[in-house]
Amino acid sequence: MMQPVYISSAAAISPQHSFDAPALLTDVVSSNNGKLYVQDADYTKFINPVAIRRMSRMLKTGISAGMRAVQLAGIDKPDGIITGTGRGSMRDMELFLGDMIRLKEEALNPTYFIQSTYNSINGWLAMQTKCTGYNQTYVHRGHSLEMALLDAQMLLNENSTPQTYLVGSFDEMTEDYFLVKSKAKYWKKNIPNSLQLLQHNDTDGTIGGEGAAFFTITNSAANSICSIAQLQLLQEPTTETVQASINNTLAAEGLQLKDIDLVLCGMSGDARYQPLYTPILQNTTAHTTVAAFKHLCGEYDTATGFALWLATKLFQTQITPQVLIQKKGINPEIRHILLVNHYPQGTATVVLLKQYK
Amino acid sequence: MEDLKLTLKQQIIESLNLQGMTPADIDDNAPLFGDGLGLDSIDSLELMVLLERNYGIKIEDAREGRKVLESVASMADYIAQNRKI
Repeated sequence: MMQPVYISSAAAISPQHSFDAPALLTDVVSSNNGKLYVQDADYTKFINPVAIRRMSRMLKTGISAGMRAVQLAGIDKPDGIITGTGRGSMRDMELFLGDMIRLKEEALNPTYFIQSTYNSINGWLAMQTKCTGYNQTYVHRGHSLEMALLDAQMLLNENSTPQTYLVGSFDEMTEDYFLVKSKAKYWKKNIPNSLQLLQHNDTDGTIGGEGAAFFTITNSAANSICSIAQLQLLQEPTTETVQASINNTLAAEGLQLKDIDLVLCGMSGDARYQPLYTPILQNTTAHTTVAAFKHLCGEYDTATGFALWLATKLFQTQITPQVLIQKKGINPEIRHILLVNHYPQGTATVVLLKQYK
Repeated sequence: MEDLKLTLKQQIIESLNLQGMTPADIDDNAPLFGDGLGLDSIDSLELMVLLERNYGIKIEDAREGRKVLESVASMADYIAQNRKI
């Protein structure tokens, strides 16, 4: 049986002011064009100015979020770096492929090629932290971050000595990506303001998003924010299998749904997937708050990263901002958070987080 | 030759995204790598692409490439003698 692992720090660069803002979601960002892009931070605090001039936005966000997580954990370097990305560096890949066509495969810029590889951010983080340990990037669409978390959990379970892994996710949205996905009916035709997204759950489609989120994950409970007590992954989820997974997750910890203080749901306003979340809204008691997050970060492969970062902040502040709440519970304390997230290409995730006291 | 050097400096700034720099900030004879402009190995690959794309020059000998990429002046000299476009 897997042992829990602990989150000792978290950092995110997202469409919200998640990186530098002094308070959680007090200045909420919205959009009217169906796209939520990240809020840029001062990347020069974390990246060498000589190197930064070559980097795409995603590299800058990923490296900065990763370095911030290391900094917040108070460590010099992690024992390993494990990341997940659904798409990798889309912009660099598009530029490289565009040049291949335009220049007939001759005189191609090396930078775009080098930085379009999925593990560029891992490499940079390893160089910046001088970490020569385990280094892995998972590219598993909607389960990319989850695979990185599972890998970290297995590695940490094998070690009795305290170890810390830097685990994170990153994905970016480009104009071409948005266009291609629109042909596959990913996005809403009549685009609402992003903050009204969840009220439009009677039509198909959602809004696009992006972001980077990094965590230091340890096998030592001391000074941690919370534990990842359970992590379950589902393929081709149905309403029934999601409910069964929630029940199994709770049972494994000797809990019932009424013991959960807050359920953080990945509902995206898409009518096709709303039924996955309907029983949660129906079955939770007056004790439990049901919250949502995709109207703040948009839909992307590793949106679980934004939700996980948000959960750590909810534990730390013990305040649930009104903008998250779908159904308000009466319990003022946040000790147990259940994260349920679905991604349109047939994956879902159930995570149980417990605050460490 | 002075026009070529100015054009080359503009192309280097654009190609390497040297933010905040102008052609006047680049000395003709200062080393491009190390203590001079502080460029690195990936920049050298970008400069090779710049020569090929803008002047039709392909340098296949690494030793020759190192000499050509010493400074803006050495690049301009080589371009003047070997350009195909």
